[in-house]
Amino acid sequence: MGQVVPEKAKVSPFLVFFLVHSMQLGIGVLGFQRIIALTAGYDAWISVIIAGLSIHIILWMMYKILESVDGDIMDAHTFVFGRVVGKLITLPFIVYFSIVAITLIRTYIEVIQVWMFQDMSVFWYSLAFCGLAIYIIFGGFRTVTGVAFFGVILPLYLIFTFFFAIPYADLRNLLPIFDHSIKSLLLASYQMSLTYLGYEILLFIYPYIKDPQKSKKWAHLGVLYSTVLYTALTIITFAYFSEGQLQKNVWATLTMWKVVQMPFVERFEYIGIANWNIIILPNFCIALWCASRITKKVLHIQQKYGVIILSIVILIGINFFKTREQINTLIDYTGKVSFVINYGYIPALFFLMLIVKKVKKK
Amino acid sequence: MRKALILSIVVAFALSGCVQKEILDDVNLESGSAYDYVNGKLRGTALVPIYLPDKAVENKTYSANSSLSRDFLSDVQRQSQDPIVTGSLKIVLFGEQLARKKGILDLIDSFQRDPSVGAGIFLAETQGEARKIIESNYGKRGTAIYISNLISHNMKTKDLPKTNLQRFLSDFNQRGKTPYLPQLRLIQKNQIEISGVSFFRYGHVVTTIPAEKMFFFKLLVDQYSQGSLKLKVGKELAAVESIRSKYKMKLVSRNTPAINVHIKVNAILNEYSGIKVTPKELKMIEKKLNKKIEFECEKLTKQFQEKNIDPVGFGHFIKSRTRKFNFKQWETDYQNLKVHVTADVTITESGVIE
Repeated sequence: MGQVVPEKAKVSPFLVFFLVHSMQLGIGVLGFQRIIALTAGYDAWISVIIAGLSIHIILWMMYKILESVDGDIMDAHTFVFGRVVGKLITLPFIVYFSIVAITLIRTYIEVIQVWMFQDMSVFWYSLAFCGLAIYIIFGGFRTVTGVAFFGVILPLYLIFTFFFAIPYADLRNLLPIFDHSIKSLLLASYQMSLTYLGYEILLFIYPYIKDPQKSKKWAHLGVLYSTVLYTALTIITFAYFSEGQLQKNVWATLTMWKVVQMPFVERFEYIGIANWNIIILPNFCIALWCASRITKKVLHIQQKYGVIILSIVILIGINFFKTREQINTLIDYTGKVSFVINYGYIPALFFLMLIVKKVKKK
Repeated sequence: MRKALILSIVVAFALSGCVQKEILDDVNLESGSAYDYVNGKLRGTALVPIYLPDKAVENKTYSANSSLSRDFLSDVQRQSQDPIVTGSLKIVLFGEQLARKKGILDLIDSFQRDPSVGAGIFLAETQGEARKIIESNYGKRGTAIYISNLISHNMKTKDLPKTNLQRFLSDFNQRGKTPYLPQLRLIQKNQIEISGVSFFRYGHVVTTIPAEKMFFFKLLVDQYSQGSLKLKVGKELAAVESIRSKYKMKLVSRNTPAINVHIKVNAILNEYSGIKVTPKELKMIEKKLNKKIEFECEKLTKQFQEKNIDPVGFGHFIKSRTRKFNFKQWETDYQNLKVHVTADVTITESGVIE
């Protein structure tokens, strides 16, 4: 069903790597180490790997769902549930992506407020950010992909800044391995869902990929790259901080920058956090694009207006989160919702799809 | 599209004035601070370098009493022409009274909490009042840089074991390890020296080892460290410099805890009072060195056990080798820990003359 995406609006399959990875790398990575270490101690790096590998199964299911309808998840919904119910079920995704967008930008603003400028206005900053995002989305999906590409490439050098922590690293912190129960390891994997969130965009961008069969490899590689990155970061963090010390730091990743000493820059955090803007931007754009794409397909509002309406909603919504506690609750719920969608809803849809296909064949 | 572009440019320009600016010339950069405990009150002293037109640095200090640590800064602000900011803090000194009686835990909290304080700053305890040390003038580049360089080069190439804020915090929060800091002393007017290493338990100084013992302590805690040592060989005197040292711990038994520490040192001979250095004499010196290192290191660990501190991190080491390690049990077990040190010194070179 629905409109066919014109060939010139599509992107090459390898760009899926950047789309998936840039959406995954966002604000979760700034402080996930503390939360998983609370559950699984310094064995939690195993949880990072478990969570990362489990995504590949979900990714495989997603591709199966999308292949069988050769469209996005909205087509799959129509196929399984029919026209009206299918549309109703797609609607919550608008809320989901809006919440993801709010979480992203509000957490980032909180980081700026704590680390750099206490008096920065939430509203004005998010207005500027939304303006930029709207401008990018007006350029079409290919522009969004371009931003995602640079959102991965440009901040790549930040990896090297974590080498400054290595002289302080004590790998004995990680020993003995497997000192925690399987249950706590799995629980910590569940807590990784906020950090790993983002690969579900595939459900919406699928029709925009040229030759989607070839993109499979790149999507899996994108997720694998995130897994490797997070695992390395977790191990460095655990070696750098002692267990009691890590529990005191809300943003362990940023705190590690405190030890960076360079002759020409006294405090590296300022550069690092400012650079994080480039990482957040594609995240925000893709989330907003997905949400507005649904409004276009389901509610038949032009994407142009959809983006603006959603931006206004986000600008209003962001004002409800003021204190650390409220923001924490928001982050917590976003993680939970994403877990339900990725690990609950997608497998359910996958099996429903199988059944419906069998029934329809008869 | 063009409208959106213009809008975002306008917004970007309009927003650039929204946050508080901190222009380098209009702030006082606090480069060092000292804390003392005087008459039941905490006294903080902030050191601000003032750069004079002829490139010289004038050290200006501000002092205030307060009950909370960072609190003193806000009192000090009333004495300072420009706002004092902490972004380039390099050293923090704790006075003897404070470190021994009141404890430094409350102060450490503020350094962790403040995002603008780096993790690489040096902390040190002082003999006597810390204020006296920070108020003196040492080098041309300012007091803070002088003390910071003093500590830094002694850690890199000499006997002082590596410490800074990050290492202190990490050790402090590590179960089965005690943090330590260098101790500074004023030897005469405008001259200081590192007088030893102080060990902390819950923020209080428990004991201090003198500078002569620092070499042996460093062998136990720092991998790939350097340092120098004098010793008597028969009637002659020899000065040896360690180029590279390595230690390896081995858990011998768990039930009655015993640990073997093997220390490997590559050294060069710097000075020898004898007439000639023959291979035979080198062997002698090596043997003597081995004995001395073994003896002194074991003495140090015994001393630590007596004081119930664990700066070497034996507890942390055993934890990393034991499943479901019980730290409660360890607190009593530590007294029974047997540490056996073996040393292996190789003198690789003996200078350009024989």
